[in-house]
Amino acid sequence: MSAAAHGRSAMEPAGIARALDTLGAWVLAILWFLPLIYAVWTAFHPTEYSARFDLAAPLTLKNFADAWSAAPFARYFLNTVLLVTMILAVQLVLVTLAAYAFARFEFFGREVLFALVLVQLMVMPDVLIVENYQTLRRLGLIDTLLGIGLPYMASAFGIFLLRQTFKSIPRELDEAARVEGCGFLKMLWLVYVPLARPVYIAYGLVSISYHWNNFLWPLIVTNSVTTRPLTVGLSIFAAVDQGIDWAIICAATLMTSGPLLIAFLLFQRQFVQSFIRAGIR
Amino acid sequence: MSFISVRGLKLALAGGALLGMASTQPSAALAQNLSFYYPVAVGGPITKLIDALASDFEKENPGIKIKPVYTGSYQDTIAKTLTALRGGEPPHFAVILSTDMYTLIDEEAIVAYEDMVKTDADKAWLKSFFPGFMENSQTGGKTWGIPFQRSTVVLYWNKELFKEAGLNPDKPPATWAEMLDYAKKLTKKGSTGNVTQWGVQVPSSGFPYWLFQGFTTENDVRLMNAAGTETYYDKPAVIEALQFWVDLSRKHQVHPPGIVEWGTTPKDFFEKKIAMMWTTTGNLTNVRANAKFDFGVAMLPANKRRGSPTGGGNFYVFKKSSPAEREAAVKFAKWATQPERAAQWGIDTGYVAVTAAAWDTPKMKAYVAGFPAAAVARDQLPHAVAELSTHENQRVTRALDDGLQAALTGTKTPEQAMTDAQREAERILKPYRR
Repeated sequence: MSAAAHGRSAMEPAGIARALDTLGAWVLAILWFLPLIYAVWTAFHPTEYSARFDLAAPLTLKNFADAWSAAPFARYFLNTVLLVTMILAVQLVLVTLAAYAFARFEFFGREVLFALVLVQLMVMPDVLIVENYQTLRRLGLIDTLLGIGLPYMASAFGIFLLRQTFKSIPRELDEAARVEGCGFLKMLWLVYVPLARPVYIAYGLVSISYHWNNFLWPLIVTNSVTTRPLTVGLSIFAAVDQGIDWAIICAATLMTSGPLLIAFLLFQRQFVQSFIRAGIR
Repeated sequence: MSFISVRGLKLALAGGALLGMASTQPSAALAQNLSFYYPVAVGGPITKLIDALASDFEKENPGIKIKPVYTGSYQDTIAKTLTALRGGEPPHFAVILSTDMYTLIDEEAIVAYEDMVKTDADKAWLKSFFPGFMENSQTGGKTWGIPFQRSTVVLYWNKELFKEAGLNPDKPPATWAEMLDYAKKLTKKGSTGNVTQWGVQVPSSGFPYWLFQGFTTENDVRLMNAAGTETYYDKPAVIEALQFWVDLSRKHQVHPPGIVEWGTTPKDFFEKKIAMMWTTTGNLTNVRANAKFDFGVAMLPANKRRGSPTGGGNFYVFKKSSPAEREAAVKFAKWATQPERAAQWGIDTGYVAVTAAAWDTPKMKAYVAGFPAAAVARDQLPHAVAELSTHENQRVTRALDDGLQAALTGTKTPEQAMTDAQREAERILKPYRR
């Protein structure tokens, strides 16, 4: 007993630091989790209980049923998944090739071109809505999934992020690969892409969550149930003229963000590990 | 300057193209495909109701196809419409806020109904709406919008709480003095001195100008002229009205302090945190379904007179359309506002049915007999005025909203707030006074 006490006192400073760390982590986790807990509580109880906590409150699935029937959510789910997948797939290809060129090739006007790409980062997408709409109309892409995604496919953020990553990869690896007889594309595939995997994952997360949540642009550029994403369906519940029905809003929100949450929970180990590996390198 | 002329040129070109199209089209009834933008501003299955309206109309009018497009809130709808307009592909017709009339006229986006209707029956139809709703739909002697989903502000009171406070539960306050007096009796404090129940609540988030128009109209003053080129934010009667609103919370402490959320006000009412509230008639269905106590609906209390603003959306027909398409759009607007249908729409949604004839239908009479509160909005209409609307509507209204919120939170005196708001509005509207 006394030995243990002794040992602990020797460890005291580190112990306190660790306790504080744990405490801090818990506080942050709870703060992050609170809105979610509230949403779950509200979604599964009748409206009367959305501002009143009562353990005996009756559970119900009615809010979900109401929310689901208020708009063609099944179709919207499909649209959103297709849209997000398409955008991410095209982005990954374009961004990789562009970043590789900017990072490793010498060509005329490279700096100017890269500066132009960076300028895109400074412009708020909302400012371009009218211009983009006109372009898409000339292309005949109004009211199509491709039309929603097209303006986002050449992502300046992605190009910038990957270029910096590619630049930080030692030239030696590059040269070794060339000695082994790799061409440019093979080198990209075998050396650069695997080494940048954590960055790809981080970028994929940002891209998916952004496009999953994007509202105004898809609303403006689409007119049909067959092209509209989830957010447009969700916005029906945001009609506040009649007061806010938290129960149904929470149910609809959980329903539409659920797949993302579940995917993140399932893959979180991989995410976290890839970030850690990115740090160790 | 140069881009204006380019726009003019484009319009001229578009017009030319249209004429060309119209002349090449055989005059025999070709199928008309009309796109129709509409917002959802109240709860309930609005998208389904609209889809049903469109398909019923198509059944009765073969040859016309309506494609209803849900376009988010009113704000999203005007954003989408203007984007589509500049992109060269506006809808054929749309439901948009009555207050966006000047904006749409300035964009040269819409056609006046006088330029489209021909028969006497159609002309009579234009005159069939409540004049209170037409104030926001006409300017310069022309009708630009047809009232469709319209509302107004009324007072809801909790009869149970009235009884508890020793007031007559069937007698709502008729004047400002009475409302203040009742509110004092209805405000309850807990043992620690915090208020557990407020006498009255007038929401002030989002669009405080609308509820403020209740106070100003009752104080017998208008906020703008009919041409939409002048505002009167700093008139003494306006400042007086604001002073009364501010005093409710700051001086008399019968109204929650600061900015009160619009969206949660009905909830506060259901949970008996407030005994009286001012909100839209669009809440009627909601309150009826969720209030677990006896409640009443009354006209807003009077000061120098009764009064309340109207609100909501109108049908607009867009310029970029062939004569046949315009005719079909007008036909739909007329069809949707027929007494029977206007009555049904009012019952389904809680909006105020837009014509007197709609209130005379058996359906509506039966509804009112079972739920007399529904008729209060109609009875208040003779006292109603146009919702604040001017050229550059968003910015001019914003100036007032900022002033109101500054006064309610106490960062400015009502007088200072209104003087500043007027100066800002003046600056924005100057170019429109020629």
